Amino acid sequence: MSLLEVAGLNTFYGDSHILFDVSMHVERNEVVALLGRNGAGKSTTLKSLMGVVTPRSGSVKFDGTEIAGRKSHAIALAGMQLVHEDRRIFGSLNVEENLVLASLSASEKWPLERIYETFPRLKERRTSRGTDLSGGEQQMLAIARALIRSPKLILLDEPFEGLAPIIVRDLLAVCKKLAADGQTIVIVEQNIAAALSISNRTYILNNGHVVFDGTPQDLKAKPEILHRYLGV
Amino acid sequence: MLKARPFLIEAITAVGLLLAPFILPHLGFAPNTVNRILVWGLFGIGFDILFGFTGLLSFGQSAFYGTGGFFAAYLLTRAGFPYVIPALLLGMVVAAVVGYLVGLIALRRTGIYFAMITVAIAEVFYFVEFNPLADWTGGENGLPGVPTPTLNLGFTTLNFDTGWSLYQFLAVCYFIGIVLALRIVRSPVGAIFRAIRENPLRATTIGHNIHGYKLAAFVIAAAYAGFAGGCLGVMQAFMPPDAFMFETSGQLIMQSAIGGIGTLFGPLLGAAVWLFLQDFLQAALGLGAAWKLVLGLVFVLLVCFLRRGIIGGIEDLYHYLTGKRTASEPEESSPQLVDEVKVHAPRVPAKVVQMPHRQPEGGKGGPILQASGLTRRFGGLVANNNIDFTVEQGALHGIIGPNGAGKSTFFKMLTCELPPSSGKIVFEGRDITGMTVTNVCQLGLTKSYQVNQLFNRLTVRENVTVAALAALRGRFKLDLFRNMRKMPELNALVEQTLELVNLTGRVDTPVSDLAYGEKRRLEIGLALASSPRLLLLDEPLAGMSPRERVETVALLKSISAGRTMVVIDHDMDSLFELVSKVTVLQEGQVLVEGTPDEIKSNEKVQEAYLGGMRGVFE
Amino acid sequence: MINWANFVSQLFNGLALGALLALISSGLTIIYGTLGVLNLAHGAMFMLGGYAGYVAFTYTDSFVVAVIAGSLFVMIVGILMERTVIRHFYDRPDEDQLLVTFGIGIVFVELVRLIFSSDSKLVPPPPALQGVTPLGFMFYPTYRLAVVGIVAVALIALFFVLYRSRLGMIVRAGIEDAIMVSSLGINVHRVFMIVFGIGAMAAGFAGIINAPVVSLTPGIGDDILVETFVVVVIGGVGSFPGAVLGGLIAGEIISITSMFNPSYAYVMLFAVMTLVLVLRPHGLLGAKGRE
Repeated sequence: MSLLEVAGLNTFYGDSHILFDVSMHVERNEVVALLGRNGAGKSTTLKSLMGVVTPRSGSVKFDGTEIAGRKSHAIALAGMQLVHEDRRIFGSLNVEENLVLASLSASEKWPLERIYETFPRLKERRTSRGTDLSGGEQQMLAIARALIRSPKLILLDEPFEGLAPIIVRDLLAVCKKLAADGQTIVIVEQNIAAALSISNRTYILNNGHVVFDGTPQDLKAKPEILHRYLGV
Repeated sequence: MLKARPFLIEAITAVGLLLAPFILPHLGFAPNTVNRILVWGLFGIGFDILFGFTGLLSFGQSAFYGTGGFFAAYLLTRAGFPYVIPALLLGMVVAAVVGYLVGLIALRRTGIYFAMITVAIAEVFYFVEFNPLADWTGGENGLPGVPTPTLNLGFTTLNFDTGWSLYQFLAVCYFIGIVLALRIVRSPVGAIFRAIRENPLRATTIGHNIHGYKLAAFVIAAAYAGFAGGCLGVMQAFMPPDAFMFETSGQLIMQSAIGGIGTLFGPLLGAAVWLFLQDFLQAALGLGAAWKLVLGLVFVLLVCFLRRGIIGGIEDLYHYLTGKRTASEPEESSPQLVDEVKVHAPRVPAKVVQMPHRQPEGGKGGPILQASGLTRRFGGLVANNNIDFTVEQGALHGIIGPNGAGKSTFFKMLTCELPPSSGKIVFEGRDITGMTVTNVCQLGLTKSYQVNQLFNRLTVRENVTVAALAALRGRFKLDLFRNMRKMPELNALVEQTLELVNLTGRVDTPVSDLAYGEKRRLEIGLALASSPRLLLLDEPLAGMSPRERVETVALLKSISAGRTMVVIDHDMDSLFELVSKVTVLQEGQVLVEGTPDEIKSNEKVQEAYLGGMRGVFE
Repeated sequence: MINWANFVSQLFNGLALGALLALISSGLTIIYGTLGVLNLAHGAMFMLGGYAGYVAFTYTDSFVVAVIAGSLFVMIVGILMERTVIRHFYDRPDEDQLLVTFGIGIVFVELVRLIFSSDSKLVPPPPALQGVTPLGFMFYPTYRLAVVGIVAVALIALFFVLYRSRLGMIVRAGIEDAIMVSSLGINVHRVFMIVFGIGAMAAGFAGIINAPVVSLTPGIGDDILVETFVVVVIGGVGSFPGAVLGGLIAGEIISITSMFNPSYAYVMLFAVMTLVLVLRPHGLLGAKGRE
C-alpha cells in the first residue's frame, strides 16, 4: 500500500479550475519531485493534500485513510506536514517557541536536541525572534518545525527559493540525510537540478495536468520533455 | 426593486402617504406614532445611503441628528427666529457642515476602525451637548417651546399643528426626502457608492477618488439626520437631549436592519415595526419593560438569518414564489455556444471610440512608456533591481520570468499601486512617478488583475458602468441628481465594451452567477472601459482550461486594436502567439529582451528556467 | 493655584481608572487581534460581571466569592457566545459581526434590566479594604487604592498567560497566522473559543472589581465601551502593551481634565484620539493593520 495515493484530484480557487484530474502516488521512504512552470499547479497540489485548500473532487488516501476534504489540523495529526512556500514563521515567537508550538499536538516528537543536531545554526539562534532570522535560517526553522512532529510525509514547497547557493547546498545536504534516514518527502522546486539530485521519481505538471511520471534517468533520456514543459 | 420603472416607486410612495391617515388608525396607529415613524424614516434614509449603499456602518448618526435638531430649536426658541421651515433647513446645513468636518477625521480609517471611531464621536457629542454647551442646549432639560411650522401662501396660511395636520407637513418632507434619495441612488454617484461597498480597491484603481465619494455619502447622511432632528423638535414641541444619545444611533441601526438595509424604505418600515411592537408588547401583552428585550432578540435573529431584513425577505419570497429563472446557466452549455461562435469570428468594433480627454498629450512619436532604474525594496529584500523598460506605441509586449522574478511587483509600480524605492516612470512623455493609482488610471494607464477584482453583487452592466463613469467623468464629480439613463455617451461606451469582451448576452446577470471564463472577460472589460491607451494584463490566462486559453488569446488580439498592451503570463505557448516582443525578468532584473523566437532560442533564458540543468546531466 | 492634594488624588483616580480601562481593553484587543471580531457586547460583559458578582454576594456575603463568580460567569457567557453565534460570522462581512455583537449587547442589558430593574445595586468593598488610608498630606479611599493593586495583579496574570504559557504562545501565534497554527495540528476554533472566554472574563472581572466604586446599573457598560474603543485606537489594535499604555493614558486624561472642568474630559480624550489617528494611524504600539 502506498503511503500516499491521489486519484482524480480537482481543485478550484473560487471558479478558477487549477488542478485537472491530478493523480499520483508516493511510496514510503521515497523522495518524489513535483516540477513545472509557475502557475502549473504544483503549490496548489501540496495545499490540496494538506487541506489548506479543499479540493472539489478526487480522492487522497494517506496511509490507507481517505483525507480529501478534511481540515488541515486533522491532516497534520494524521502525520502529514507542509512546509509552506512563504515559510510562515511566527515572527513574534522565538526559534524555540516556534519549535515547541509545532510539537505540542504531535503524538511522536523529535527531541529538541536532535533538531539542533540537524540544524546547528538554529541552536545558536534559539532565543532569536522569528522576525530577526535571515531567509536561510527561516527556511531551516520552517523545515525543523515540520520535522519535530516526526511526520510520515513531509511536503516541501519551493524550499530553496530566494536563498544563496551556499545555503541551498547546506539544505540539500540536510534533505539528502533525511532521505537516507528513511523520511518520505515530496518536493516542489523550480531549481530543477537540486530537485532531481535527491529524488527517486518525478512528476511534471503543466497547466494543472500531470504530463510526466518517471525517474530522473527517464528525463535524462528525453531532454525535450524538460524543454517543453519547464523551459521556454 | 429600486430599478423598477421610473417614477413607479415615487408614485407608490405618494399614494401610500396619501392613504395612510385613512388606513393606519384602523391598525391601531395614533397620529403621533405615525409622525414619529416618519421622522425616523427620514433620519434613516441618509443612514441607508451611507451604510446600505456605500457600506459604511456608522454608529454616530445621533451626533448629526442632535446637532441639526438643536440648532433649529435654538433658532426657534431662544434666538427668536420666526420661520420654522428655514430654521429646519439651516439645521440641516449646519449638520452637514459638522458632518463634513467629522468625516474628515472618521473616514481616515475603514471597516471596524471606522465603526469604533463613530461610536466615540456619538458619545463625545452627547457629552459636549450635555455639559459645556448646556447654555445653548438646555442641558438635561432640552429646549422646550419649539413651534410648529406655518406656511404663508398669500391667500391663506396653513398651520401644521399636532396630529394629522402635522402629518401632512412631515409626509411632504418624507416624500421629498425619498425622491431626492432615489435620484441620488440612481445617479452616477449612487453607482459609485455601490462600487465602493463591493470593492473599494477596484473602485480606486479604476479611476475614482473614493475618499471624496465616501465623504459625500457621510455628509448626505448627516444632512438627512440634521433635518430629521429638526423635525423631531417640531413634532414634540420640545427638543430632547436624548437625540444625542448613543442609544438613538443604536435604535436607528436596529430599525434599519429590521426593515431592510439598502432599500431606502427599510428604516421607515423598521420604525413602524419597532413603534408598533413597542406599544403592542407593552400594552396588549403586558410585557412592560421587556419590549426592548424582545426587539433586541428580533434584531439579533434577523442579523443571523434574514440579513436583508423584512423587505429583503419579502423580495426573496417573491422571487421564490414566481419561480424566477436563475441567471446562471450551467457551465457546460451556454458559454460554450456563445464562445464557439466567438472563436471563429473575433469581434472588432466598427470604430474605436476615443474619449476626447483621453487623447495623448505631448508628441505622438516616441515610446508610450519608459521606466528607468526602477527599483523596489521590501526591507532587506530587493524585489526589482534597476529595471529599464520601454514599450513602443501600439506594441503587444510580453513579460515572463521564473518564480521570484518580481513581475507582479513591477506591474504594481507601473500602475503606481506601489511607489518605487528609486527610479522613474514616464508615460506618454509625462513623469508619473509617485502619482496615485487613481490619477494614473485617469491618464490612460490601467491594469486588469490576475485574481478577479469585480463588484460582486452588481450586474455585468453595472460593473462596466462604474468603470466607464470614471473614464467619462474624471476622478470626482458630484453629479448627485443626474439621470444615468440620459447619458448617451455612457451607454455607448458600456455597450461597446460589452461587445469587445463578448458579454452582451449576460448584461443583467450578477457577477456571482457568472462562469469563471465570463468573470475573466469582465475583469478585462473593467480595465477596457476606463479607455486606457496602455493596458497591462496580469496573468489573464490564469486558471483557464485549454479551450478557454485559445478563446482568450483571440479576445486579446481583437482588443489590441488602437491600444498598447503589456501582458504577464506563464503560459509561454499562448503568450508567444500573442506578443511581438518579450522581456524576461529574473530575480528582479531584466535578463534579456527580444522577439519570441529570439527568446526561445536564447541560452541564458533556458538556463534561468531550467536552473542549471547542464550540471545534472553531465 | 493648584490644590496639590486634589491633584494627587486625581492622579490616583486616573491610575485606578486607567488600570481598569487597560484590563478591559486588553480583553477587547486580544479578541480582536485573534478572531478579527470587534465585540460590541464588551461593555455589557463588564456590566454582567458586576451583576453576577452582586448576586453571588447577596447569597454568600463574601467579596472574594463575588469576584470569582462574576469572572467565571462572564467567561462562560463569552464561550457560549462564541460557540453559538460568533463562530458563524467569521466568513461574513465585518459589518455583520459588528451588528450581531451590538445586538447581543443590547439583549444582555435589557435582560439585566428586566431581572434587576434599573435601580442601582451596591456591592460594598470587603471589610478589610473599607475606609480611608492616610497618604501623607491627604486621605484616599482604601478600596480605590486596592483596585489599582488588584487590577495590576490581574494584568500581570494576563501577561503571564499570554507571554509565558503554552496557551498564550498559541494565542500569539494565532493572532499572527491562524492558518499556520492549524497546519501544526492545533484546532484553532477551540483556541478562538478560549480567547473569547478570556477576553470576556477580563471585562467581567473588571466589572465586579469596580462595583464597590460606582453603583451598578444596567447601563454602566455603555460609557466603558466607548472609553475602551478610544483606548484601543490610541494604543493600537491587537496589541496587549498598547491596551495597557492606552488605558493608562486615557485614565489620566479623564481624571486630570476633570480636575479643571469635568465637562471637558471626553472632549480631551477625543482630541487625543484624533491626534493619534492623524499622526500615527495604527496607534501608538499597533503593528500591522488588521483591516
